[in-house]
Amino acid sequence: MPQNKQVKHRLSILRNITLVALVIITARLFFIQIFEHDAWVAKANEQHTLLETITAKRGEIYMMDHDEPVAVVLNQAAYQIVIDPTVTKKEDAEKVMNTYAKDYQVANLDEVYNQEGLRYAIIAKNVPRETAEEIAKSEIPAIWLKKNNQRVYPEGEFASGLLGFVNNEGLGQYGVEGSLNEALAGKDGLIKTTSDVNNVALSIGTDNIKIPASDGANIVLSIDRSLEKGIEELTAEAIDKTAATNASVLVMDPNTGKILTMANLPNYDPNNYSNVKDAAAFNNYVTDIPYEPASICKNFAFSAAINEGKMTPDTTYFNQHYEIVDEWKIWNAEQRSKLYGTLTMRDALYWSLNTGSIYALKLLGDDPSHINQQGREKLFDYYYNKFRLGHVTGVELAEAEGFIPDPNEGWGRDSTYANLTFGQNLSITMLQTATAFSAVVNGGTWRTPSVLADVESNKEIIDNTEKVEDKILTDETSAMMREMLINNRSYKKRGGIDRAGYDVGGKSGTAQVVRDGAYDDSFSELVGSYIGFVATSGEMPKYIIMTKMWGEGKSISSSDAMDLFDTLSNYLIDYMKIKPGAV
Amino acid sequence: MMNRKHKSDLVILFATLALMALGLIIIYAIGPMRANVLNNTYGTDYESNYFFLGQLRSIALSLIAFFAAFKWIPAKYVKKYAKPFMIVALILSALLWVLSLAGSSLAKCELGECRWFNLGGFSFQPAEIVKLALVVYLADFLSRKKEEGNLGKWKEFWLPLLIVCGLSLFFVVIAQGDLGTGVTLIAIIFGTLLVSGIPASQYLIMLVLVLGVSVGAVVTSSHRMERVDAWITTLTNGESTDSTYHVDNAMLAIGTGGLFGVGIGNSVQATGYLPESINDSVFAILGETFGFIGLFLILVVFVAILLRMLKVAEYTRADDDRLIVVGVFCWFLAGVVVNVMAMTGLVPVTGITLPLISYGGTSMVFIAFAIGLVLQLSCYTSREVIKNEDISSRGRVRGSHNSSRRRSS
Repeated sequence: MPQNKQVKHRLSILRNITLVALVIITARLFFIQIFEHDAWVAKANEQHTLLETITAKRGEIYMMDHDEPVAVVLNQAAYQIVIDPTVTKKEDAEKVMNTYAKDYQVANLDEVYNQEGLRYAIIAKNVPRETAEEIAKSEIPAIWLKKNNQRVYPEGEFASGLLGFVNNEGLGQYGVEGSLNEALAGKDGLIKTTSDVNNVALSIGTDNIKIPASDGANIVLSIDRSLEKGIEELTAEAIDKTAATNASVLVMDPNTGKILTMANLPNYDPNNYSNVKDAAAFNNYVTDIPYEPASICKNFAFSAAINEGKMTPDTTYFNQHYEIVDEWKIWNAEQRSKLYGTLTMRDALYWSLNTGSIYALKLLGDDPSHINQQGREKLFDYYYNKFRLGHVTGVELAEAEGFIPDPNEGWGRDSTYANLTFGQNLSITMLQTATAFSAVVNGGTWRTPSVLADVESNKEIIDNTEKVEDKILTDETSAMMREMLINNRSYKKRGGIDRAGYDVGGKSGTAQVVRDGAYDDSFSELVGSYIGFVATSGEMPKYIIMTKMWGEGKSISSSDAMDLFDTLSNYLIDYMKIKPGAV
Repeated sequence: MMNRKHKSDLVILFATLALMALGLIIIYAIGPMRANVLNNTYGTDYESNYFFLGQLRSIALSLIAFFAAFKWIPAKYVKKYAKPFMIVALILSALLWVLSLAGSSLAKCELGECRWFNLGGFSFQPAEIVKLALVVYLADFLSRKKEEGNLGKWKEFWLPLLIVCGLSLFFVVIAQGDLGTGVTLIAIIFGTLLVSGIPASQYLIMLVLVLGVSVGAVVTSSHRMERVDAWITTLTNGESTDSTYHVDNAMLAIGTGGLFGVGIGNSVQATGYLPESINDSVFAILGETFGFIGLFLILVVFVAILLRMLKVAEYTRADDDRLIVVGVFCWFLAGVVVNVMAMTGLVPVTGITLPLISYGGTSMVFIAFAIGLVLQLSCYTSREVIKNEDISSRGRVRGSHNSSRRRSS
């Protein structure tokens, strides 16, 4: 019966189809599960592994108020809104943003929803807790609220150049926030875990990791909050009264190197740093920007010559208003005729005569009629190695290095070094200047300056910072310098600006601005600086104040900076309740 | 004319029960994950054992259907009502279509496809009835035409056949958009036609015609082309897109399984990455859980059932009984092969459940009933049917327990 043979044959076709299918499928499974196994595992890890950082709490920043630390930079609990665009409907996300979180939006929803395969998108940041709670109540699928910390500067526009700010990525920028970012930020923790499709951690998997966050350190600045505030107000007033647009003020203790005020006016509001148009506004001019403090540097040239035993304040020289060096005629700014003739070095400093400081340089080279190599090298040694000008000071903030020219390399060394004696042809920061000046007046010891208070929470940072204490001048040199600096202000005392019972010494400096590599002799833009100390009369200086005023295209002479110093020195005496000495 | 009853095919019986048990175990392991994903994503409120209990209920119902077909309902009654059963299946399908067009709540639709009757807390899929009805109807029809000598004749054979098959396919594929069931129906039709004994030339012409129509149906539908496109992308290891997401994740699950699998309860893909993890994609979860060795053993169990069904068909004397067995074989084969090949990227995803294992009530109840029917028929096989063409070979017949020399009538 062929019929049955046919049935058997046709059933065998079905059997063969079954077996062929089995072979194909088995081969395919072998390929996927054995041959491609590692590749799929790698892909699976990518898809299944949830890496979540546990954000470390950023340290807060304090300033001293007399002896009590008070917070000037805080954190506020806020929330990020995170969505899974494959589950959350765009309309829902839009509704949430428009109803609650318009102001905190950080991502364009159109862009988020156009990205294929995107399953995690932060669409808003710094959402306050109450708003976040309302959003949580709306129960929209796959919308999460993730805690983040928002940086808050409760004082607003205050010490902003010193403090800096924290950007959207949580990185400290400029000032203390930028310089001490590592200490403030702490170390984020990490959760590495296998998660389900909604990013919920699963207990499946063997290489789940949890590293807890270590919070950032709280930092207490040595800055005196009320003093900083008072000085900023007075400085702002000074800017209003003069043609200057900017001013920086530094107050420090010359005996410890502790910085009490570091003001940069105008301030900006670090809470809204993104409103600032020109990034120059973020600069801390005290440490970031080197310049020429001009005649203030005469203190350093004089100190060098006295300390080397080459001169005293009573040493005399012949002033003819100018000096010719390397065929350059260098003039004194002050040319009244009564000054023509033999003068003491005290007078030369009083009248800020360039010929006087050039004479000090000549004395350093043991040749009263010429500048020579020995003089240049001695001056360089004092400027660069002893006063540490052209070096970072080692303060806990970001600093610029500046520059002191080499005494031997290059053309026109004598004129360059003649310029150095009155603070030109070099570039140094205000902090370098003030630190060196501290050594001049404090008995001759150069100390690394610091913006941190000696408190427990700063210990680690302070211990890790290299501190230098270097006796560079003799007590006698320092005493002679103090005497001349007080003498500089004798007319202020007579005029009652410097009160009886106090010793206030100081020196001004007016710098021409270098334009296209040469000094602008039209004097159309000048930067005025003043540095001085205050002391109970007969005692060692307690504080140093340095002021600097300038404005682009503005001619600001040192008298504006000196006026500001006068105001601030009296304010400081009152604020610090410095006792008057015997009159 | 009935062969004497003997023991049923134990391989089919135990393999079927084993697969159901495996399905229950895997749903027990991943059901809570499924509930969790749905609750988190859509805000539903499923208990963690919801799907396990659902599967337990399905298996209980399936076992009732299985033993009803196996032990309690004689196959002759089933065959007797072949035609009315087919008519009822078609009428139910037509009714569902009309209800869905009318937007009635009695028709349950998901993603725009209306495949279920909604009977208040209980839903069922008429396509499953169509499959069973078509198996029985074709067995009856083809054997009758063969007996009448009308096989292959246009008016007596092809015309009624085309009408019934065409209507079935229309309701399932066009009205319900259920391509997976459509593939199963075509497998049933061509499998039974093959064994029915129609001339090979006619069979091949029909095969070419249906293939042509199928390709046309795919090419003219953007929705189906998208699936084919996704499939080609997957095969050629192209960029992942929304369309390839399903099969990418199925293959990722299978691939991470490796040789031995990650073990029960350790599936990560079931936690929401793999769509349809408890029903259409359960094979991928099995691959992740049990690895290559596990999957191979599972496939061997499926193939064992299939090959034993062919054996039963071979030794079944009556044409209509044999065709029932072949129809069930094709149904089962299509389910396994199309599902597994889709999960491994060998064919486009059509949305078809893995028989006996996938979560899903109606489909398991009906396939269980169909297998039960095969088991019933396996009790009446006879070596002689095949052997009587060659009397001389009779002596080689071994294993007399399942062959009957004595005629019962």
